[in-house]
Amino acid sequence: MKPITPLLVSLALFVGLFGCADSDSAAPSSSTGVGGSLARFTILGDFLYTVDNTRLVTFDISDPLAPEQVSAINVTLGVETIFPLKDHLLLGTQRGMFIYRVGPDGQPSYVSSYQHVVSCDPVVANDTFAYVTLRVSECRDAGVGAANTLDVIDIRNIESPQLVNQLPMDGPYGLGLDGELLFVCLGVNGLQVFTLEDPNSPAELQRFEDINAVDVIPLGGTLLVVGPEALLQLDYSDMDDIKVISEMSIGS
Amino acid sequence: MKTHSFLSVAVLFLLLSTFSCTNSSLTDIPDEVVGLAPVYAADGDWDDISSKGPRAIQQLNKIYYKDSIIFVGEANQGVHIVDNHDPANPERIGFIALPGNSDIAIKGDVLYANNLTDLVAIDISNLDEVTVLSRVSDAFPNASQEVPANYIGYFECPDPELGSVIGWVETTLKKPQCWQE
Repeated sequence: MKPITPLLVSLALFVGLFGCADSDSAAPSSSTGVGGSLARFTILGDFLYTVDNTRLVTFDISDPLAPEQVSAINVTLGVETIFPLKDHLLLGTQRGMFIYRVGPDGQPSYVSSYQHVVSCDPVVANDTFAYVTLRVSECRDAGVGAANTLDVIDIRNIESPQLVNQLPMDGPYGLGLDGELLFVCLGVNGLQVFTLEDPNSPAELQRFEDINAVDVIPLGGTLLVVGPEALLQLDYSDMDDIKVISEMSIGS
Repeated sequence: MKTHSFLSVAVLFLLLSTFSCTNSSLTDIPDEVVGLAPVYAADGDWDDISSKGPRAIQQLNKIYYKDSIIFVGEANQGVHIVDNHDPANPERIGFIALPGNSDIAIKGDVLYANNLTDLVAIDISNLDEVTVLSRVSDAFPNASQEVPANYIGYFECPDPELGSVIGWVETTLKKPQCWQE
């Protein structure tokens, strides 16, 4: 059994640094919750950021009684997801990952992008690496030469993201990152768990073939898994013994 | 921008195949894809947001987690409230009716959501009786015509039998028959 402590420590750091997740411990009432990698709304400070098909829209929510749209930026076609990373926003689009920096006034400005042939691609990240899944299967407008992959992108220099590795996948959807664990949803093909002991090169730890997974939210030991058939929860507090602990079925 | 429906393409294809020997398909309709679905005026008061009793999850959209509560999106209809203090025994404890909803985010006791084309801020300090604090009309203009405006991609063909379309909401479509390019 591997020690879990570094994972918890890094999770605590993650939570503390990014303030986008919370735990069972008493959270301040101003805290925000946490969404999955397919989320299209995210909150940083006093601002709500939303993406639609082509735009990144900023709302000032300092007064919930009077939210105000303060800007709308045309990003590219096919903007699908938004992931907050400290004072940056990482957008998953059909043409690649677009990075925006949020200024003190809450306004996002373009920093850089990692572009690829057209496919579908949510993104998660930590300080050093972004992990992007690219899916061709059942993805509208997927381009010639596009493939189903997990891309590892070095973002230590956020002005210039660099692809450092690319793993073939079985039609990946959403993904989740917690310390040294990376969870990747494969739709009907299952749920894949990777260890990031070498963050450049995710190594498969386990694969759940019979889970139909579309997106995940890791919560420091408990993984929420959503798919068309059920809302599942997995206990991953022992990374060598990850197991399903509950299942809320859909349509019942 | 061109709007297509499968029917018109099929007719065209039939005509073409009658007069030529080509057998290549005009487009590949995906089995499943994220796109837009119409919301009809007849669906009721689309801006009526309120707490309801727990109900079964029919079509799971996205989830959001805060303070041991899982907010489970029910495509187009609202958000289930699942008490997750014991992850081994999650329990549905309520439902927030939120027509045309696809996404949410929460800060403190305020839930921000799209209610069709509008952005709404909802006080969730009492989950049994949520109240709308404010509304930004047409914050998401993707969603107010018979065909989705300024949108490229697949959508569910509106059915005139079901009344007029008051908006569009993002959802997962099975073999969509309409698209714009």
